[in-house]
Amino acid sequence: MADPHFGLERHDPEGFSLTAAVDSAPPDEPSLPVGEWLRKNLFSSPFNTVLTLVFTVVALAGLRGLLNFAFSEERNWDAVRVNLRLLFTQAYPEDQYIRVWVSVGIVVALSGLSLGLWARLSGVPVARVAMWSMTAGGLIALGVVLREPSAVSGPDGDPMRDAAGEVIRQSFGAAMGDRIWWWLAAAVLFGVGAGLWRGFEDERRRHTYVPTIPLVFGSLGVVVATLWLYRWGHYAFTGNEFVYEPDRTAALSTKLPWTVMWLLLMASWAAGRQGRGTPAEGRLKVLVNLAWLLSPFILFWVVLRDPAIDWAHVWSTDLPMAAGFVIGGGAVLYGLTRPGIGEVGRVIAVGLLAFAGFNWVAAFAGWYPMLQKARFGFLLLALAALLAPNFTGERAQRLRLVWGWAGAMTVVQYLVTMANTESTLNTPTSEFLGGFSVTLFVAVFTLIFSFPLGVLLALGRTSKLPIFRVLSTAYIEAMRGIPLITVLFFFANMLNLFLPQNMELGSVAAVTVGFSLFAAAYLAENVRGGLQAVGRSQYEASDAVGLTTVQRTMFIVLPQGLRVSIPPLVGQVISTFKETSLLAVIGIFDFLFLANRAIPSQSEFLGVKREGLLFVSIVYWIFAFSMSKYSQRLERRLGVGER
Amino acid sequence: MTKTSILRLVAALLTVTLVAAACGGDDGDDPAAEPVATTTAAAAAPEPATDTVETTQGGDLLGTIQNRGTLNCGVSGAAVAFSMTQPDGSQQGFDADYCRVVAAAIFGDADAVNFVPLTAAERFTAVQTGQVDLLMRNTTWTQSRDTDVGMDFGPTTYYDGQQLMARVSDGYSNSSGVSDIAGAVVCTNAGTTTEKNIADASEAAGVDITLNTFEDFDIVTDNFISGACDIITTDGSGLVGRKANQEPDDQDWVIFPATPISKEPLGPTYGQNDSAFADVVNWAVYATIIADEKGITLANVDAMAANPPDAEAGRLLGGEGELQSVMGLDADAFMQVIKQVGNYNDIYERNLGPVGLTREGSANAGWQDGGLIYAPPAR
Repeated sequence: MADPHFGLERHDPEGFSLTAAVDSAPPDEPSLPVGEWLRKNLFSSPFNTVLTLVFTVVALAGLRGLLNFAFSEERNWDAVRVNLRLLFTQAYPEDQYIRVWVSVGIVVALSGLSLGLWARLSGVPVARVAMWSMTAGGLIALGVVLREPSAVSGPDGDPMRDAAGEVIRQSFGAAMGDRIWWWLAAAVLFGVGAGLWRGFEDERRRHTYVPTIPLVFGSLGVVVATLWLYRWGHYAFTGNEFVYEPDRTAALSTKLPWTVMWLLLMASWAAGRQGRGTPAEGRLKVLVNLAWLLSPFILFWVVLRDPAIDWAHVWSTDLPMAAGFVIGGGAVLYGLTRPGIGEVGRVIAVGLLAFAGFNWVAAFAGWYPMLQKARFGFLLLALAALLAPNFTGERAQRLRLVWGWAGAMTVVQYLVTMANTESTLNTPTSEFLGGFSVTLFVAVFTLIFSFPLGVLLALGRTSKLPIFRVLSTAYIEAMRGIPLITVLFFFANMLNLFLPQNMELGSVAAVTVGFSLFAAAYLAENVRGGLQAVGRSQYEASDAVGLTTVQRTMFIVLPQGLRVSIPPLVGQVISTFKETSLLAVIGIFDFLFLANRAIPSQSEFLGVKREGLLFVSIVYWIFAFSMSKYSQRLERRLGVGER
Repeated sequence: MTKTSILRLVAALLTVTLVAAACGGDDGDDPAAEPVATTTAAAAAPEPATDTVETTQGGDLLGTIQNRGTLNCGVSGAAVAFSMTQPDGSQQGFDADYCRVVAAAIFGDADAVNFVPLTAAERFTAVQTGQVDLLMRNTTWTQSRDTDVGMDFGPTTYYDGQQLMARVSDGYSNSSGVSDIAGAVVCTNAGTTTEKNIADASEAAGVDITLNTFEDFDIVTDNFISGACDIITTDGSGLVGRKANQEPDDQDWVIFPATPISKEPLGPTYGQNDSAFADVVNWAVYATIIADEKGITLANVDAMAANPPDAEAGRLLGGEGELQSVMGLDADAFMQVIKQVGNYNDIYERNLGPVGLTREGSANAGWQDGGLIYAPPAR
């Protein structure tokens, strides 16, 4: 579900004009003078005044606590700085790190292209930009005042203590003086905001738009620029030595790739914009969507895993088999779509299905050998054969199924071959990825596998056929009745006992299967809610124009049902993303485990845990918040809740 | 209807051809082996699917490992000084080094180890399903694990035992005992044998204590530093590490009693009934101990091999009368162990020295120095 546009899209024929944004902007009111605004919103009644005061104090106390915690002299942020690479990619070999950057680059380029191709040009009113800037400046100033004065450090670098063991702190004035750079940043931000606010009179302030995308790119550019200008410091662990160099900018191996990423983002966005409105636009969009769908597989198995391809085996086995499936399967499908084949076609399809199923029975019983790839191939062929009656008709129609089969089979055979080839990476631990990359991949694969399964289950549960209805309901209710952590323990420890002989899944793979099956049950319920919102009349209308059940489901019911279920679906996506942190409980080296267990047990950072946990929370928050924002955009665009 | 019959025939024929093609693919592989077909479904993730499931019970594990080319060694990955995950993802520590010892003995290459981080809960399952060949995961040798759980244990590499840590300012010293802790708030991590041991010990000593338990030992230590706990207790190796790294300037911590309140012999653990592999693991460990006794170290092993101090050392380093080839190893297997990883003392001092665990006077001293580290003779 990398790019769920669901086929609905709008063009902005005005091109770069920003007036389009005005149409979608909510109706606005003239802004009030500050005093009046405060009176109206915060101090409108004695009760509201009390509420405002109480909650301001609570919020300030909370902020102060957080700042004192994060910037306390007791915090050892070196534990996070040195371990950044561990936290994101665990033991990925340093000399192969270019592969990680290529993967990030592919994702960045696809994001840029998608933004260019799809995103409507929108703008943020100057009034709001000014407000943000002033708020940011104000918050920084507030933080600088709230944070307690730093400790006076003694000759050994540790904070000095008085006779009672209390840490001796600077005077308030000295502390404020030391934070001059923060004051400066606050002043600049506030000044820019105030200048913008004053520079426009009210009406123009609200109706002059700063284009969103340049604003976002500009902000990202500022962040990237600080890598070159600000002394973030250089922290590393190379050749068993810890490197601490706080007085320099980030290492070249950090700032250069991110600069390239930033340029790539802008270039791909520009390319996407160029493609817009051209005759090729439709095809480009299909290509980008396909690339999104395939990219997790390609990135994981080909780019990152770097398989050691055994060409002899490829020529002797893999290629002939792929060709056999593509050509042979294509021929079978072409035959099955012959007009007037009638029931015979279905019988053959069911026969194929029985054969494919028998292969699996044989696999469990160990009766005869067959490459697992072939078993999957036959299963897919049987499923395609079941679809064949929908493609009967003239030659072009029939060939569409054949080409679809050929394409899908090529991709599947290629990916399975890659997945089956040993990795050439030399990592000390059994999994070649860990930390945040594992979190991401588990989340993404879970989404990819649970989405179709969930939709099928939802369709099954709303089906008129009792067998589908009962099975889907039983599955959904069973899964929803089991705690997720139980499912994970089961899959991590026991799945391999249920697999055919000689087939084995690593624990991360097994857990991904568990996550997918679990998420699918919840997804199915969300989708079912959407399906039920599709009115009776839609069914009757599609029956009236003579659509088959499959056509009605694919083209009438699902698009409308899925559109309605977007808010709960995104909620589901976010919670799945966060639930991957349960991997830590079953001992997989995911993002949380590294921060919570692995780093605190390094003798250099023994027991240093709070820093890592805070860092992990912030990263999780950034991702979950971005997803939530994206879903809000999507909802607005698809008009969920308005129609 | 003839057309449909033909079609059916074609479909059937194609199917048969495909099956033939698919099965044909297997012919290239060892015909005696089970079908090597192995794919992870599209869902599969990182594991290269060509792995085959091995049962360790009574099998030829040594041969399997030699064919595979790497040793799958189960470690904790989050145990201070025993197996720590370093910032570059590598494994470092006493247990990690003993994995390297076994790899050096089998392959002559200490780096031919594939570390598998395991939780305490899943470690034995991992051995039973063949996910790992060997556990080096601070596993205590107990009767139930040896018999009921179905493990076999190699020679103990580290004698640990539960101890207590308290503040000197509260009147505790090296010579304190469990009988001195009446009324104290004792903290440890929940659901472990540690909890049970201290409860038993205080009952036996006839003192009342308040036992508080926490989720993990980092939290226990934080509560000790803040004063919420008077005493904390866990394995001695853990306490020493904490004392070395986390003792604040204004506190003075002491560990007691000198004789621990529990026995925790830690060492290599593997599946039962595979003597060939067990022998290799055991003698690789013994080789590091014998080398320590004879003063053969990481630094001087080449000179020692060229000019061995006695016949036993000569045999161990691959000289005349060596017994390594009988075990299915290279003659210089143990020489490679010492050369690439070191003897027992090298390994101990490199990993446990920095956190403050000393050998002298402890059970982990050599037997000549009054400790328990002892190896049978190599002859």
